Amino acid sequence: MLTIGKLAQAGDISVDALRYYEHEGLIVPAAKTDSGYRLYGEDAVRRIRFIQHAQACGFTLAEIRELLHLRQSDSACCNDVRQRAIEKKLQLAAKIRAMQVMSAALDRLIAECADGEQSVDDCPILAALEQVDDDRERAP
Amino acid sequence: MKVELFYAPGCTKCTAAKADLQAAAEMAATGVEWCEINVLDSVDRAVELGVLTLPALAIDGQLVFTTLPTPSQLATELRRRRGVQAHGA
Repeated sequence: MLTIGKLAQAGDISVDALRYYEHEGLIVPAAKTDSGYRLYGEDAVRRIRFIQHAQACGFTLAEIRELLHLRQSDSACCNDVRQRAIEKKLQLAAKIRAMQVMSAALDRLIAECADGEQSVDDCPILAALEQVDDDRERAP
Repeated sequence: MKVELFYAPGCTKCTAAKADLQAAAEMAATGVEWCEINVLDSVDRAVELGVLTLPALAIDGQLVFTTLPTPSQLATELRRRRGVQAHGA
């Protein structure tokens, strides 16, 4: 059995992060000592690795909790997991597209500000950001 | 009218429902173009329409159902759109 400190060391993670995982229902101590210290089984290290890998793929902690449930569910199959991975890919692709739009908007603003020596009062970027959007103003 | 059904390969509920949905769509409106799209082959198109969960169904380039509709829900929506088109013409 591992104390929270040993588990943190084995999983290369902070004790605070482990407590947060526990608060979010992602890990559960296998036992507690007489003095109330949490003790974790060896499988907790594998679980921590699973959580870290899933986070690296963009899954939120709530989604990781679902994946962990699926892993333990007798009625779930690989396609259930695959579906979630595909949906995550779609969400990431949508975010990438939104960021590309933001990046293009910044490109336009940067191109408008050719003379960086102007006073801030004449800064075309600030002026463009301040510009009233007619369509939005008209909206109720 | 163009109906696009976005699905993930291996989705058993999609496989089971596709034929009924297509039949309902073709009964509800004439000239329906029915497209089944494996989202892994068309991620850009799915993102363009705002598809974030699967299965999803778009009509005339607009995401209308973010979960699989029943055949009757799809038929109702297609008839409503056909009515709007006819009224606007």
